[in-house]
Amino acid sequence: MASTDADYAVWLRGIEKRFPGVIACAGADLRVRPGTIHALLGENGAGKTTMVSVLSGVYRPDGGEVWVNGQRRFFQSPADAIAAGVGMVYQEFRLVPTLTVAENIVLGAAPGLLRSAEIEERVAELSAAYGMAADPTRPVWQLSMGERQRVEILKALWRNASVLVMDEPTAVLTPGEAAELGLTLKAMAEDGRSIIYISHKLDQVVAFCDEATVLRQGKTVATVDNLDDVDLSSLAEMMVGSSGGGYVQRPPALEAGPEVLALQGISALNDRGLPALADINMTVHSGEIVGIVGVSGNGQKELAEVVTGLRRPSQGRVTFKEQDVTEASPADRYRLGLAYVPEDRIGVGLAPKMSVVDNAVVRSYRSQRRGLMLVMAKCVQFCQDLVERFGVRAGRLHDPVAGLSGGNLQRLLLGRELAEQPAVLVAAQPTRGLDVQGVAAIQSHLADQRADGVGILLISEDLDELLALSDRLLVMFEGRVVAEYGPDVTPRTVIGEAMAGQVRA
Amino acid sequence: MSEAALIGLFVATVQFGTLVFLAALGELIAERAGVLNLGVEGMMTMGAVSGFMVGLETGSPWAAFFAAAAVGSLVGGFHALVSVVLGADQVVSGLALTIGGLGLAAYVGRNVVGERPETQFTDLGIAGLADIPWIGEIFFDQPPVVYLTVLLGLAVWFVLARTRLGLAIRAVGESAPTTDTAGHSVMALRSVAVMVGGAFAGAAGSFLSLYMAPGWTEGMVAGRGWIAVALVIFGAWRPGRLALGALLFGFTLALQPRLQTFDIEVLGLDVSSISPALLGILPFVLTVVVLVIISWRHRHRPSVAPAALGLPYRREER
Amino acid sequence: MIRPVLARRERVVPATQAAGFVLGVVVALILGAILLWVSDHSPAEVYERMFDSAFKGTDSLSRTLERATPLALTGLSVAVAGSMGLWNIGAEGQMMAGAIVATGVAMIADGLSGPLLIALMMASGVVGGMALMIGPALARSHLRVSEIITTLMLVYVAIRVVEWLETGPWKDPESFGFAVIEPVPEQAALPGLFGRANIGMLIALGLLLVFWLAVSRTAWGYELRLAGSSPDTARYAGVSLRRKVLTALLLSGGIAGLAGAVQLTGSAVRLESGLSNGYGFAGIIVAALALMRPSGVAVVAFVFGAVQVGGQSIQTLGVSSAIADILQAMILFGALVAVVFFNYRIQWSGPGGESSIAESGEPDLAGEVA
Repeated sequence: MASTDADYAVWLRGIEKRFPGVIACAGADLRVRPGTIHALLGENGAGKTTMVSVLSGVYRPDGGEVWVNGQRRFFQSPADAIAAGVGMVYQEFRLVPTLTVAENIVLGAAPGLLRSAEIEERVAELSAAYGMAADPTRPVWQLSMGERQRVEILKALWRNASVLVMDEPTAVLTPGEAAELGLTLKAMAEDGRSIIYISHKLDQVVAFCDEATVLRQGKTVATVDNLDDVDLSSLAEMMVGSSGGGYVQRPPALEAGPEVLALQGISALNDRGLPALADINMTVHSGEIVGIVGVSGNGQKELAEVVTGLRRPSQGRVTFKEQDVTEASPADRYRLGLAYVPEDRIGVGLAPKMSVVDNAVVRSYRSQRRGLMLVMAKCVQFCQDLVERFGVRAGRLHDPVAGLSGGNLQRLLLGRELAEQPAVLVAAQPTRGLDVQGVAAIQSHLADQRADGVGILLISEDLDELLALSDRLLVMFEGRVVAEYGPDVTPRTVIGEAMAGQVRA
Repeated sequence: MSEAALIGLFVATVQFGTLVFLAALGELIAERAGVLNLGVEGMMTMGAVSGFMVGLETGSPWAAFFAAAAVGSLVGGFHALVSVVLGADQVVSGLALTIGGLGLAAYVGRNVVGERPETQFTDLGIAGLADIPWIGEIFFDQPPVVYLTVLLGLAVWFVLARTRLGLAIRAVGESAPTTDTAGHSVMALRSVAVMVGGAFAGAAGSFLSLYMAPGWTEGMVAGRGWIAVALVIFGAWRPGRLALGALLFGFTLALQPRLQTFDIEVLGLDVSSISPALLGILPFVLTVVVLVIISWRHRHRPSVAPAALGLPYRREER
Repeated sequence: MIRPVLARRERVVPATQAAGFVLGVVVALILGAILLWVSDHSPAEVYERMFDSAFKGTDSLSRTLERATPLALTGLSVAVAGSMGLWNIGAEGQMMAGAIVATGVAMIADGLSGPLLIALMMASGVVGGMALMIGPALARSHLRVSEIITTLMLVYVAIRVVEWLETGPWKDPESFGFAVIEPVPEQAALPGLFGRANIGMLIALGLLLVFWLAVSRTAWGYELRLAGSSPDTARYAGVSLRRKVLTALLLSGGIAGLAGAVQLTGSAVRLESGLSNGYGFAGIIVAALALMRPSGVAVVAFVFGAVQVGGQSIQTLGVSSAIADILQAMILFGALVAVVFFNYRIQWSGPGGESSIAESGEPDLAGEVA
């Protein structure tokens, strides 16, 4: 397709950006034509987020040029990028929970005097024009993830953005909501706006997008002018650089062992004091992986916390190895053999400012004592064993653990939890944000543990991962288990509907 | 207790209330923007000494008042530079501001200790209203700073609730990255909020040294800057509730020196026999008790404090 | 337009907090010199006098150590709370509370022999400091009431109580009408070491050592560090946050109370409202500069002791001793700023100056970048 430079809605040319110890972009290019939906593909760490952060004025590039609508730009701040017509929807929404929908939409582009009624009316008109329902007077903290995303898009439309960047937009959506988003984006493209769509869900990319750019290790390795011309596997190959890198194969079915963990009638409140879990009943047997699937925020986090003792249930009973542990502390449960890889690796699982050794003994420091003293040599030995057994590239063991990469952090955390042969492992989002190698390593550890007879409660947002690993799959919606599927292949559409609360009888 | 004494008590309540309200209002602005400034005591003290000295020099209480506001703003600007622009710890910087401010004020004012001002604010008898019995004397025959403070309270409420700037300040106190990516400068918003807050504190300090206790002595702010910090929590970061709290604390501050002169008994104990030093602990004990009661009542609810309070922000941090 | 931006350094300057502290001292001395100069004093003369009075000869040195002792104790007090991420800014009041209880005990038990009485007074100092901290500690651990404000408020309470005791219940009948409390018994004076230095200094050093061992080498200290640096991880590890908050704050109060008892028996004659003399507040700066580490507390307390002795000495030159307070705050500000610049550099960014690629060689491509 013949285009001159001036025709591009966005042209990022030879972008370079370094962070201490890491090169995020090493001369990457991105060209987007007006009125198209352009997929920006790449693995974690390929530089996608850095590229769009440069485009949105959050990062200043160390080298390269930024062109928007035919003009070279030097963005000093997000304000400059907004003024040039670039709107950005971040993966972690940039909304103020305590402000209303209308206030969030007009933030940064509001008239000097705020007349709430007038603004709310204009916001309502805008959302009606694009068929996105949103009550302008509601505070954002009351909204679902899908609704919050609509607010983010409306924010960009309010500023009349000609370029809209969406970073992993479907991660928080049900399959149904994701399809709806696709329609909204198409309507916006037909309006003449350009959309940059970052995702690693290739099936969605192929369904939604017109063209694609593939990044690898901070460089552009391929551009696709017409996505109809390529198939999924060749796109995947471009991203990874070699074929393969899928999911660990589903482990062969095992004879289910005895029941090790049971929840009976569990209800619990979330941090805001609102109901988060309602009458949950489930069991985990030794040697099986029970997968929990659901759109994030439907009670998965609270479930993990109730099981591991970090949250008191308001009702119900937790039984572990035939003991009632409802009142037992997290440490007591660990001592009984209940291990936990929390969703928040940093901040819950690991203390970022403390050393690798200190983090390695979080679970076992009580057994490294002699009298009052903590025997440092024993701690270091314990840590060294862990690092070797689980292949953690840890650098110096007395440096803060925050210096480790995501994959190594997770190996350290998982290794620590498995070090003392637990009976049950609760793993929440264990592979989120890891690169292909990291994902594979963690998944094969999980499969090995299952084979050794450990019962695993696996909470994940990655449906493919769950389908590949789980013996049973439970779907959570609004704090309830709404469906359970056995090891037989269940159509994704059926699971998707259950995730949205529509259970087929 | 005589009628005059009682009226005197309420007149003083309004004035003490004004003193802590003005300072707390400044802190409220800074905290709504997400910056904790524990330097209020220091900024007030700097305002007190500089206001008093400018008053001596110029003989104009207004010149003194605004000079004190400017000095307060400058001192606040120091906190903004260190904790907002450079991103150092807000608690440490604020405490250092208080300690340094007290020291600097003592140094600057060493030659004017004990001097008396020639002129000071005169009470504004508002025509017609000031003659109403009781009410007139308590509310309508006060120095102009009292009315200015009421206006400032209304203005702060209006700006926060009804303007683009106020929306941005509320947003940056809840989430700096959100406000940044929406196109506002986090640094500018927070720095301005801290400096305006400093101006309020400085002005409050000069109200003390120009009118309420004319003169300058070291340590004359005597913890009332800290009460202002506590008041912001009491007021749940809202100007209206802040005003109510200020009147309550103003009453306690006004009561303390007068209690001895009142011929009343509490629980069979003659109040006038209590040592003035012991009565002096009243406002401070009240602050602690009130904070505990508030937290007790809110113990099951999430905090209403601005979510980003105390957190520095750097855009390219990752 | 070209604007300055702070950019994190690729390689952090191999400087530590120690270098920041030294730079802070330098910055403070420069700013202090400017202040002296504009108020018509000779900075050189003033600084020379300060230096001589703090370091020249054993007598001077002993004065510095005498002042450093309460600073080390209050600094440690703040650091104990600080290692849990808590701020005890009421050490000033807890010192007073400690001194009050110690004085009360001395009044009752003045027949005891010296060592016994001293030991008893030290213990009661700890009790007094803890007593003043119980309210804030419980409010913090159970209701999340900011300990910053509550501890500070009680400073004013403690000082007023001393004023009350001076004028009323404990007024010395032999004081010819002056509102003072009777001196502590003679046998309760802390044994001297040399000059004005006394064994209070050894108590402070000993406590710093014990605290260092406890934090870095015991399971208790490990839990304290874990709870301070990452509360959710501590909860996950089964550490009771409430109990840790409570013990850290109570210990902090107790150490400040001990500082009061040491000051009372070491340097003061009697309990009076000026006894705490700002040591509690200066302790906050000491602990902040020391990054809550015991070794740092010892060094900074020594330097601050010298600054304070110097501040006293220059009054004979007609210079206000408030200079000492200003210098202490300036050292902290200087160090805060210096440490920021150790970790960040100023990058001039704009159309002309955006590329600063010249720096650094071949960087590695490792690591997952989120």
